[in-house]
Order: sequence, then structure tokens, then C-alpha cells
Amino acid sequence: MIDFSILREFGGLFLSGVQLTLMIALVSCCIGIIIGSVTGILLSQKTGLIRWLIMGYVTIIRGTPMLIQVAAMFYMLKFAGYSITAFWSAIISIGLNSGAYMSQIVLAGIKSVPRGQHEAAKVIGFTKRQTMWFIILPQAVRTVIPAFGNELITLVKDSSLASTIGVYELTKQGEIVMSQTFDAPTVYVIVGCTYLVITTVMSLIVSQLDKKLQYHAQR
Amino acid sequence: MLSVKNIIKKFHSKIIVDDVSFDVAPGEIVVLLGQSGVGKSTMLRALSHLETIDAGQLMLDGAPLDFKKVGMVFQDFNLFPHLTVLENLTLPLVKVAHISQERATEMAQAALAQFNIADKESMYPTSLSGGQKQRVALARALCMQPKVLCLDEPTSALDPQLTSEVAQIITKLAAQNMMIVIATHDIGLLDNLSCTIYLMQDGKIVQRATSQELLQQPESFKLIKSFMQGKNAF
Repeated sequence: MIDFSILREFGGLFLSGVQLTLMIALVSCCIGIIIGSVTGILLSQKTGLIRWLIMGYVTIIRGTPMLIQVAAMFYMLKFAGYSITAFWSAIISIGLNSGAYMSQIVLAGIKSVPRGQHEAAKVIGFTKRQTMWFIILPQAVRTVIPAFGNELITLVKDSSLASTIGVYELTKQGEIVMSQTFDAPTVYVIVGCTYLVITTVMSLIVSQLDKKLQYHAQR
Repeated sequence: MLSVKNIIKKFHSKIIVDDVSFDVAPGEIVVLLGQSGVGKSTMLRALSHLETIDAGQLMLDGAPLDFKKVGMVFQDFNLFPHLTVLENLTLPLVKVAHISQERATEMAQAALAQFNIADKESMYPTSLSGGQKQRVALARALCMQPKVLCLDEPTSALDPQLTSEVAQIITKLAAQNMMIVIATHDIGLLDNLSCTIYLMQDGKIVQRATSQELLQQPESFKLIKSFMQGKNAF
């Protein structure tokens, strides 16, 4: 039997969990966007060592479970003597993970801009940097916004992995409530529904943003 | 004077442009005529530095061609779709020619007015017709004040009436001492232009004639005449 009355007593815990979950997702997403944009642009232009280094980073991140990455980052930093909180360790590892995926999204966005746009910019006299900044990226951004939105939604859900290193985000708070109430079904329904509400709201925001950009592009 | 001397361009081992030479005097319109795939567009791309040449020389007024002096209007216009018509013209002026935003706006508006599209300045390229896009592309290229203007299949997307309009615009530009090189297979455009025609086949120029020569002694230019009559002369 689902008993929502536990919210009266533990609502505050869930709320603080939501706050941490959102912070982890949003900050990691920002880190991911920065890393993904830089590496995606470099991948589209550079060859040789830089390309190999980025591809190595992307391969490692995509080829290992995020749970391992979160734990490895936390324990490696501790082992190396850095006094970093579990919260920031989780943000760094999730941000690095996101950066690898976002680099591929940015690269795909850049490649989606027709070759003629590069050529027109070159003939006019734009430098490579100006071409990327003023011509290619503004067009690529419109293509990648939905994918960025999906990545943000994924990050909200993946942030639950931070609970494994002791970050008191939504899932961890749920586990605490469960240990006190022994009402696992109710806690899982509440935690699950909370994630669903957060991701649905984010989907709607991203969808509106995408529509606005598409409208702007088609005027 | 633009001098194109013995240009060779290969893709892998295949020769696309084979020992092509021609001159363009100020005010002259040169038309590279031929079927698709004969190397006309590649020649234009070499002129505008989009392709490197394997051999030959490109000279302008006795010096190696400075590619900043070459403007290009693409077959599919390649306007920047995220910028308004006005921004398509002002951005290169501000960022490349380092002209102030105010002055760039004045210059762009004047260029748009010259092509009768001043009222389209706040529109985005996706909402323009083919003819309007063509004019914006021309205005954008001309804003950078090139000495040589290359037009790749300028009438391929236009109806006959617009083709005649484009021909008038090109004639007007030539009258301003611009050197114009056009790659086309559209013989409708030739009817409206006074130009020098170079017929290309398999990467080579196989015949040359001016519009006047073609009118006065058509029997001397059988290859060009055959092409214009839609017969395969080869």
C-alpha cells in the first residue's frame, strides 16, 4: 500500500535531495557543454595528437560504466591527497562523462552545416576562427539544442549515481527515508515520480527553446 | 586585366581542368560554357581560391591574383540562413573589411537599394524567392568591392524573365569596369549578354568566340553554335 503521508515527516529531506540533484545535473551539464564544445570544435578542425588525445578521452568515457567513473574519481582524488567533497567529486566525474558525449553532439552539429557555408565564408575572407564563431556555430547550435536537452535529462537521472559515494541527492535521501520507515514501495514511487516531474519540466523547457530557435531560423 | 594561364587541376589522378588559359579585361564578361562536369565550376573555384591549382598561373594586373579581389556568387547562393539580409552584407564588412557598423549598414543598404531589395533587409534568406536570394548574394559579393566577380550557374534556379534581369545586372556591373567570369550551361543567359564565350569540353577550352563574332559569322564557330542549338557537337 502506497502511503504518501510520509511526505509530511520527510518532505524536507526529499526537497533537499531534489536541490542537490538539480545542482549536480545543472553544474555537470555546464561543465559538459564547455568540455564538449571545446573538444567538439577541436575534433572538427584538428588532426594528429590533439585529435588522438580527445578520441582517447571519448573512448575511455564511453567504454566504461558511469558508476565506475564516479567511484574511481572519488577514490583516486582521495588517494592522490586532494581533499575534495563527494559532491564536487561527483560533479567533476559526471561533467567529464557528459563532456565526452557532448563533444560528439557538437561535432555532429558542426558537420551538419553545409559545406557551402564554409566556402561562402572563405570566399568572403573570414578567417577559420571567424567562420567557426560567426557562421558555423550559430547554425550548429540550433541543431544540437534538442540533443543537449536530452543530455541534461540523462544527467538528472545519472546524478543518482552520486549516492554511491555518499552524496545526499534525491536517491540517497530516499534510501535514508526507507531505512527509517521500511516503506520501500512508497519511497520508490515518490522518488520515481519526482524524477519524472523534473525530467518532464526540463523536456518542456527544451522543447519550447527548440521551437523558438526553429521559428527564428525559418523566419 | 585578369590572366588565367595554363591552369591544370586534378582530383586524384583525373584531370578536371586541362591547360585552360584566358584573359578578362576590365568591363569584359567571360562565359565558360559547357555541359555539367566539364570543369567550368572547378575553374571558378580555382579563381576564388576554393581549389588549389596543380599548375598554371592566376595573375591580376601583372601580379599574382590576390583572392580578396575576387567575389563569388554560388549556384545555390550560400547565404547565411541565421542572419538577416542586412546582416549577411554587414557582417563581412565589419569583420573582414573592418568597417564601422554604421558605415557598413549604410553601404549594405545602398547595395540592397541598387538591386531593388531594400525592403527585404530585415528578412531571413529562407523567406526570399530564388531571384531575391540571387540579388542578395550579388549585393553581398559586391559590398566587398571585388575587381573580379565569379558567378557559378547564376540562372540555374531562375525563370526566363529573371534570367533576363540577371543579365541586365551583370551588364551593368561590367559597365562599372568589373571583370566578370560566368560558368553556365544556360544558353538563355547568352542571348542577353554581350560577352566572350569559351566552350569547354573534358576540362579543355575547345572554342572561343565573342557574341558579335557569333552573330556575324556563326559558321566559323560550329561547336559553340551546336551547343547553343542543343546538339551534342562532340
